[in-house]
Amino acid sequence: MVAIERELVQPATAAISADAIPLKLRRTGGTPRQVLAIAVVGTIALAMFASRDLASWSERLGDGPAALAAQKIAADWDHAMERLGLVRPHEVLRDSLRRLLDWQWGAPP
Amino acid sequence: MLFPTTHFLLFFLVVAALVAALEHRFTAKKAVLVGASYYFYAQWDWRFCFLLGCSTALSYGAGLIIGATADRSRRRLVLGIAVGLHLGLLGVFKYLDFFVLSANELARLLGLQHELPFLEILLPVGISFFTFHGISYLSDVYRGDVAVCRNPLDMALYMSFFPQLVAGPIVRAAYFLPQLARPSTEPVPIAPAMLLILGGLFKKVVIANYLATGLVDPVFAAPTSYGGPDLLLATYGYAVQIYCDFSAYSDIAIALAALLGFRFPANFNQPYRAQRLREFWQRWHISLSTWLRDYLYKPLGGNRGGRLKTYRNLLLTMLLGGLWHGAAWKFIAWGALHGGGLAVERMLEPWLGRRALSPTAKIVATVVVFHFVCLAWIFFRAEDFAVARLFISGMGNGWADGVQQAGPFVVALIAIGLAGQFTSDALFDRAAGAFERMPVWGLGAAAGIVVAVINALGPEGVAPFIYFRF
Repeated sequence: MVAIERELVQPATAAISADAIPLKLRRTGGTPRQVLAIAVVGTIALAMFASRDLASWSERLGDGPAALAAQKIAADWDHAMERLGLVRPHEVLRDSLRRLLDWQWGAPP
Repeated sequence: MLFPTTHFLLFFLVVAALVAALEHRFTAKKAVLVGASYYFYAQWDWRFCFLLGCSTALSYGAGLIIGATADRSRRRLVLGIAVGLHLGLLGVFKYLDFFVLSANELARLLGLQHELPFLEILLPVGISFFTFHGISYLSDVYRGDVAVCRNPLDMALYMSFFPQLVAGPIVRAAYFLPQLARPSTEPVPIAPAMLLILGGLFKKVVIANYLATGLVDPVFAAPTSYGGPDLLLATYGYAVQIYCDFSAYSDIAIALAALLGFRFPANFNQPYRAQRLREFWQRWHISLSTWLRDYLYKPLGGNRGGRLKTYRNLLLTMLLGGLWHGAAWKFIAWGALHGGGLAVERMLEPWLGRRALSPTAKIVATVVVFHFVCLAWIFFRAEDFAVARLFISGMGNGWADGVQQAGPFVVALIAIGLAGQFTSDALFDRAAGAFERMPVWGLGAAAGIVVAVINALGPEGVAPFIYFRF
């Protein structure tokens, strides 16, 4: 605090901060509506391929009426995605990663 | 509420919908963002919101008083009181028990029987960050670097904006408040923002999480159970883990702010490729290091008072920078190592020279700086001094036994994390260009699928970001 109270001989220059996203990448882009559209489409794609985690997330919501309804919807959704074969990539990736984690030096992965 | 969770995704969907609906009503958009930020903060503990509100009111009120008077001594008095109150809040919530512990240890050394009681106050998440925002605003108003903020809504959003609220980057008032004066006319940089989010999620969910659980946590918990190779790899692992963890948070925060129509400053720039310790601090947690430079090092006199005072100021700044990270002697030791290193580097400057280094010398310099930073990380990560000492002394032992804990997968993660320090910016630009050419639905679907892949690769549940505790 002493340091901050101590007056400078000359005022410090204004904050010099480089933008994290440089100007050349900010020249083109979209609108807030497009951001919303991307977020919605992305969420649907995520819900399709990660339906297993959606079901387990809903189970942690508690046992209120709304939570129970959400759990039922998430479970039905997961079953539907399973019938479509969309949970398979998730399971294959999880299994492959488990093998990588167990991989030891001198043994094949 | 953590970024890589379903809860946060649903929260962001609602915020994005409201922001899209209020595209042409800037004041309403700011009000929605303040409400969303307080909801976000209340997810940790709703009582923290009162603290954030008090800190905001203090900054706003003191700023108005400083701006209303031309009397220099009165301005200085108000600044001193307001900064003192900000630091007082931080001191009570973050450092009081540390001072009680230190006082009790001193009393024990002096043979005194009486011990002060611990208050065990819950540390409010992000208090260090919003306190620094408040101090930055008041100091800038006092110096005349930023206009007084007369709109309480703008001040509330500056102090609470949820992407940076709990772990930065520390955004200066002079940088952020002008963005609140009028709506941005720039398009939303969707493609680079999406890339930052996806890259950040990969760094946090895959690299940082597996390095923590597969190597760093077990080795730092019992360093005497492991030989030199595991200890060395755990040190490298922690260097990569903390970078991936913290820079991931910053990247996601920057991207979320961009998607909501605001610019944030850069916070990381491939820090482990630095060839000087000074350069490391120009690349690591840039918003904190520049804050410390402008509000501590320079007011202390910077390099204006001769060599010895420069060394003292460097040491003092980094010591306080260490203390900012937490109420523990190990953080002070970490700061002292960096401050001492910077002072020694400054001392050696006439010998090190300022001319360009040869390619071999550049590699040697990068390796030396990286290992010095790793040494300091051991103190930062270890539970206490005793563990750090055991850890360092154990590095010379057990080399014949080879590695026990670090499997090929975690070693590959360390290699990926370090390789990322040397990639070209052009790679990011090209990827952003490819994203930009995609239609909106394609970009959304691609992002959703990549997040699903990262989610499948990550462990069940996500650990909090390391910098939440600071």
